[in-house]
Amino acid sequence: MKLLDPADLLATSVLELRGDGKAGGGLVLAFQSLASLVQREGHHVQEWPFFSSARRGANIRSFLRLSHRPIEKACEVSRPAISVLMDEVAAQAIDFALGVPEGGTFVINTRHTPEECARHYHLSGRVVTVPGDEVGTKYLRHPIGNVSVYVACARAIGGFKDEAIVESFLAALERRHVPDSVLARNREALKATAEFIREGVFDENKGHERARPGFTGYGTLPIGGQTGLRLSRTNKTANFAPSGFRLRFADPSDACTGCTHCVTNCPEGIIRWQPDAERGMKVLGADVSQFCKLCGECVAVCPEHLFTQAAFEEHWEEEEAPAP
Amino acid sequence: MTPETHVAPTRPEPHRPTATGEMYPQAIDLDVVRAAHKAQYEQREEIIADGNVAAAIAALQMWRAVIFPGFPITPSTKWIETVASRIAGDAANRKRVKLLEAEHAVADYMVGAAASCRDLIVATATSSVGLDHMTETTRSLGASGLGNVMIVDVYRATANFPLCIEGDPSDTLAHRDDGFIQVCARGKQQIYDTMLQMPCLGMHPDVLTPTMPGYYGIKDSHRSGRLLVEADRDVHAWQDEWIVPCPLPGLINGDTAFGNCVTSRHFQGFKWSQKERLARVLDLLPEIGRSFEKKFGRPGLAYYDEVGFPEDGRVDVAVVGMGPDFGTFEFLRPAFADSRSVSVAGVAMRLLTPFPRAALRDRLAGAKVVLVVNQAHHSGRGHLTLDVVDALSDLDQPPVVVSAFAGMGGANVSEETWEAMLDHARLALAGHRLPPYALFHEGVRT
Repeated sequence: MKLLDPADLLATSVLELRGDGKAGGGLVLAFQSLASLVQREGHHVQEWPFFSSARRGANIRSFLRLSHRPIEKACEVSRPAISVLMDEVAAQAIDFALGVPEGGTFVINTRHTPEECARHYHLSGRVVTVPGDEVGTKYLRHPIGNVSVYVACARAIGGFKDEAIVESFLAALERRHVPDSVLARNREALKATAEFIREGVFDENKGHERARPGFTGYGTLPIGGQTGLRLSRTNKTANFAPSGFRLRFADPSDACTGCTHCVTNCPEGIIRWQPDAERGMKVLGADVSQFCKLCGECVAVCPEHLFTQAAFEEHWEEEEAPAP
Repeated sequence: MTPETHVAPTRPEPHRPTATGEMYPQAIDLDVVRAAHKAQYEQREEIIADGNVAAAIAALQMWRAVIFPGFPITPSTKWIETVASRIAGDAANRKRVKLLEAEHAVADYMVGAAASCRDLIVATATSSVGLDHMTETTRSLGASGLGNVMIVDVYRATANFPLCIEGDPSDTLAHRDDGFIQVCARGKQQIYDTMLQMPCLGMHPDVLTPTMPGYYGIKDSHRSGRLLVEADRDVHAWQDEWIVPCPLPGLINGDTAFGNCVTSRHFQGFKWSQKERLARVLDLLPEIGRSFEKKFGRPGLAYYDEVGFPEDGRVDVAVVGMGPDFGTFEFLRPAFADSRSVSVAGVAMRLLTPFPRAALRDRLAGAKVVLVVNQAHHSGRGHLTLDVVDALSDLDQPPVVVSAFAGMGGANVSEETWEAMLDHARLALAGHRLPPYALFHEGVRT
């Protein structure tokens, strides 16, 4: 497999990037900072986001074109040489690797290793990982990975001085009138990121079909759902959870009283239940695959505390665990 | 003169009666206003900005624009945010943002502010239903003679069910008859440059018509790239060549345009006059564009951008579109023409109202097929298609017009979708009869 050289694409044609994440997760700032970094070198840039549902936590996608010459093309980036996954929860609804040419680069904000990611997401090409949320928690007191992902992307493209990488991001923050104390913490995070970046080349997409699906119609707009024509395979608005969490229902001691509070308070109507002779009804769980935004209503109202937030990665580990 | 002079007591000259009202020439001292302007840029600079920021900077650079009423709505919000933050971030900047209760209030506020001094520019930005909410007032504004009003429309789908925040021009195209001069810009630089030129057009004594520059929401409002900004003093010097003191008091015919009930005979005469002022735009717009290019070295206002037309104008397929997606067509045009052995050219419309029908007719007269790409919901063949068909109706043998829809609600218009539309047009070239219109998405006709 011949790897695509991002620096060569930038110098000779157009380097295209695409990022997937959640609104509020810093993807747009990361791409804006990358654009500034490249523009400082005299190149042309084109950066813009696509917002799905305009609310915090919804899936978003961002695009970036970089070139040594003026950029005419205005359509979305469908064959990115670099694909960025800012939030792994976003990958539940979309295939962030779709359309990436052979030998492309994947930059992922994750605690997992490049090898684990390549295997899990079926990636062929160069896989770059950085535990951005952890870096963010340590230096910014908030699990936000965009600082680290930005650094990882800049280094994946190559050719930038470390100081320029730091200053370009800080300049973007300054334009947003961020306080000096926050700037200082971001500077630390930017400088510290390099040691956490890991990368490798893998070919784990063998036999895994990743052709772009043909147009199959616009679909119907489900009750409670908003349009997800381009970003969601399920055409649902899901995953409005804080990064890394999802709703979990557990009732091992059969404690549900049938009070129905969760059913009547859930704004999305996703609580699953069945009639029960003694209690009137009994809650079985919640269909988190569709509309659950993890708004917390059920968590708050259940008198038996049967609903909780659960770490999403726990789900991944469960999914991949060998059968007993 | 220093800004402090602003507080010095001045004695207005006695009012001066005119046939259409009374003027108070010294009530607002324009020299003081000009001197109080706080420059955004002392020299030409290259920055990185998105469309909203580009438009906001241009508005702030005009010394005549001192107050900005507004109400936020996606995707135009960042325009007023940028204006506000730049003013708030500089204690020496004495301009003001007036946040109002709703868009209707904004439009009404603009009437009062603009009528108070027709030599100052009153600008705001809105989108979609925000523009709809203004409608009662915009239709009056269109007739008011207040050419110093500028509503920046950041295009967003108008239909609010289902709600969509992405950009398509259905809002601006639904307001074609409000009476505003409507110009579409694409790309940061064109947005910035258009903003600087629009008041010169609207405030021209022959025109006196409010302006509505616009650009696509998200696709341009939120797309960042390189932007060349000019020094404020150069902007002022150039605008001052075009904007002369308005010879009229507040509103044309006093307050007739805002509420008084008139006879139908007067109404008809008034409207005809309004139409004639609007038509004058067709003469002045290219002049202002040429003047801008001479001053700043970049293309100025034009009826449309064009690409690929040979000297004799003869092409197999000519595309008519608007907005940033036209750039994708420009990108793939040469390769498409080579691969299909056809000649392809195109125009991206800029002046929407008044529609430059004669110029467009002449430009398209040598085409065999004209493919019109509509991006806004329309109950018929499409807003642009109807205008193009009308423009071509003067010709003895007009080209075949093929109407396409794509990109509604800001949907992606990919390279494959452009190719599918162009291949569709090639069918007409081969003599096939095509339906009145067709919809394209993700590379196929749906």
